[in-house]
Amino acid sequence: MNAASIVVKASGLTKRYGKSVAVDNISFEIPAGRIIGLIGPNGSGKTTTLKAMLGLVPFEGELRVLGLDPRTQRDELMENVSFIADVAVLPRWLRVREAVDFVAGVHPKFDRAKAERYLKNTKLTPKMKVKEMSKGMIVQLHLALVMAIDAKLLVLDEPTLGLDILYRKQFYQNLLEDYFDEQKTIIVTTHQVEEIEHILSDLMFIRDGRITLSATMDEIGERFTEVMVPADKVEAARAMKPIDERQVFGKSVMLFDGTVNGVTREKIEALGETRSPGIADLFVATMKGTYA
Amino acid sequence: MNTKKFGWLLRREFWEHKGGFFWTPMVVSVIMAIITAGSVAIGVTKGSEANIRINGQVVTKLADQFSGEEKAAAVAQFANGYMASAVPLLFVLSFTIFFYCLNALYDERKDRSVLFWKSLPVTDGATVLSKIAMALGLAPLMALLFGTILALLIVVFISLGAAAMGVNIFGGVLSSAALYLAPLQIAAMLPIYALWALPTVGWLLMVGAWARSKPLLWAVGTPLLAVGLIAWFNKMLAFGWDIDWLWKYIVGRGLLSVTPGSWLAYSPEDLEMVGRMKQVALGPLLAQTWQQVTTPNLWIGAVVGAAMIYAAIRLRRWKDEG
Repeated sequence: MNAASIVVKASGLTKRYGKSVAVDNISFEIPAGRIIGLIGPNGSGKTTTLKAMLGLVPFEGELRVLGLDPRTQRDELMENVSFIADVAVLPRWLRVREAVDFVAGVHPKFDRAKAERYLKNTKLTPKMKVKEMSKGMIVQLHLALVMAIDAKLLVLDEPTLGLDILYRKQFYQNLLEDYFDEQKTIIVTTHQVEEIEHILSDLMFIRDGRITLSATMDEIGERFTEVMVPADKVEAARAMKPIDERQVFGKSVMLFDGTVNGVTREKIEALGETRSPGIADLFVATMKGTYA
Repeated sequence: MNTKKFGWLLRREFWEHKGGFFWTPMVVSVIMAIITAGSVAIGVTKGSEANIRINGQVVTKLADQFSGEEKAAAVAQFANGYMASAVPLLFVLSFTIFFYCLNALYDERKDRSVLFWKSLPVTDGATVLSKIAMALGLAPLMALLFGTILALLIVVFISLGAAAMGVNIFGGVLSSAALYLAPLQIAAMLPIYALWALPTVGWLLMVGAWARSKPLLWAVGTPLLAVGLIAWFNKMLAFGWDIDWLWKYIVGRGLLSVTPGSWLAYSPEDLEMVGRMKQVALGPLLAQTWQQVTTPNLWIGAVVGAAMIYAAIRLRRWKDEG
């Protein structure tokens, strides 16, 4: 992989708020053309990491986004980076028409026709003000603006929080069908993990300011296996030290990490019916004790 | 700086603050025009005892009492002084500018829309400067435009009123050069006004960019409390400090410099001269205004204001909104 295709490169990234450490000396690389899910519990440091990437907060350590330092080269960086930091950050007085005009006026990579095409498929009208919109409609407007920007990196921090399932599905569908291509990279954080797992190419778990897991979805599928263990094999299975165990219809479902405790695929398959675990289950299993 | 982007930033400010910078002067103008038209009409219908007073000047008397000389004097006074009708607009404007600057960097933090603006390739410097250009450039120009239209309307009303009473001053007023010069003379004061207002504008922007809540309390309370405390210590311990100086230069320059013409309060001779003027003469007033460029008061204030604007830009760049 050559250096040019690395979109984000962090080494020793640290962010302190007074005495507490929000991001604790993390290092990672994000290549181009990926959709990365940054998953972590509340207060784990994921938003802080994203803010550091976007040049919104000062930090310690090395961080390069598209080869630029977000602290000193933010102005240049923002030509190629878009973000939706939160739902409903569009100002209430703004009209649809004004929003499109303004972004078209200040952003050299904005494709006005594309934004208008997208808006046509919504109930938004040019004269409408943000304060007259529902939360879902505000996100539609924001997405229309962001999708029409030909950025290299798109950062989404809880972009669908508080939206109903129809808006959420539509949001990710639009993103995937009309925006994403191999030249672009998307980093997304969300608590509704199960809704985005089918679109992700990479996964990064973050806990207490540290990355606890960073892998492609294929690697995850290779490494973690979930087994439905019949009652007679439960003891044998437990001896193999699953990382998680839960009960479903009276049967034990156990989650194994193929890289520890000498667990092999053959041994697992001998226990019962296997399948790839969902991210949500994996998340819960690896984050146990977070709030304890 | 990219001028096309800057144009869009100004338009953005105008969209957001159309109420304060466009509709308010418009409504005030319309109301003032209606009141003037009404009082002229009443004056005319009441007939003989009618003395229409505008800005304290008797503008019309009964035709037969009017000598040619008196008429000429009235016309001159009128042509010179008619822009005084725009003064209320300028004072309304100073209130608008005060609150605009205070909230310009605060509201976007409160509703978190700053995160949207910062997702676009626009620098913090350009954003803050566009707000200052709105407050000290476009807004006063718009107010002046409304003020001029209003003042001209009032001229027409009064001239019509006078005509109805048999005194024709139309020719005299309309052919007076002062009439046309007046708006330009006021416009020529704007650069000094902008420089003079910088410490207040900078202070308000900085507080707005910094305060977590209640920016008005911080902006007004801090200097008042600070100077008040110093005054109290001074009195208790008899230091003999010049407390008036603090009120004038810290509180006055920091909070009241957006008031048009407030520089007159800092040079007693000028104030006295204005007081002595029998009729409004914009020429000398303009010359006096530009005299400010020779005073350290203007320049030190402008430098302090610029420093606070720089601080506001840094705060917008780095303050973590959580």
